[in-house]
Amino acid sequence: MIIATVEPWVEPPLKRYLDEARARLALLLHPSGQVVAQAGFTRAVDVMTACALAAAAHATASELGRQLDGRPFRGLHYAGPEREGYLSAVDTARGSYICLTVFDHESSLGLVRTFFGELCRELAAAAPPLAVLRGPMLDVNFEEDLNRNLAAMFGR
Amino acid sequence: MTTRFATILDALTRQRGVRASLLVSERDGLVVHSNLRFGQDGDRVAALAASMYRKARLSADAARLGAVAFLQLDAERGRICAVGGRSDLVIVVVAEPAANVGMIRVELLKALEWLE
Repeated sequence: MIIATVEPWVEPPLKRYLDEARARLALLLHPSGQVVAQAGFTRAVDVMTACALAAAAHATASELGRQLDGRPFRGLHYAGPEREGYLSAVDTARGSYICLTVFDHESSLGLVRTFFGELCRELAAAAPPLAVLRGPMLDVNFEEDLNRNLAAMFGR
Repeated sequence: MTTRFATILDALTRQRGVRASLLVSERDGLVVHSNLRFGQDGDRVAALAASMYRKARLSADAARLGAVAFLQLDAERGRICAVGGRSDLVIVVVAEPAANVGMIRVELLKALEWLE
């Protein structure tokens, strides 16, 4: 499976995770919806759509968790008839990311959750500290940043 | 329901050399109920054992051998035994190398009957 990343330190842990969890697709993104890494997608437009939807679903689940449990829900699982999705946060020294994993009957939620725990540990260990604190994601920069990340991944 | 599962797993864990017994969903690889006697990660064992059982079932099916009756994995420091029936549930036992596999097999098949 081809993995494309904006930040190179993400690639080895993500590759191990995909191999061990037998996942079909994976997406690592900022909570704002900016893509950091993708595996299995062939079109930039699909990555863009999946990022926007994953960020929205994560924000909704987090807020629902805050309302119901006083803290954000960490993981969200969706079981479709053929494919399943697992959406969860990853915390590193560079901040928090969201990971969307799509898997089918070759894997299971238990396996994905097991190896996701390892992915979180490996990403936390691999993440270099931020040299300069990133400013808030602004509407005026959002599209420019998004296009730059997609171009880096899909070579356009 | 949990009490019924606890009774089934308690009988398995009472066997000599049994370190853990788990009731696992084959499809999800998630723990339904567990009885762990060791400091191991039950979630991890459940996910991997369910995956192994499912692969064994599919292999037996592909080779036209019929349903899997009993699965046993011997490793350097212990063994994993598993049985599954018509439902999605798989009963998994983690045992020491010296454990009596014959007795464990009998208890596992008895537990499966109870479950179904």
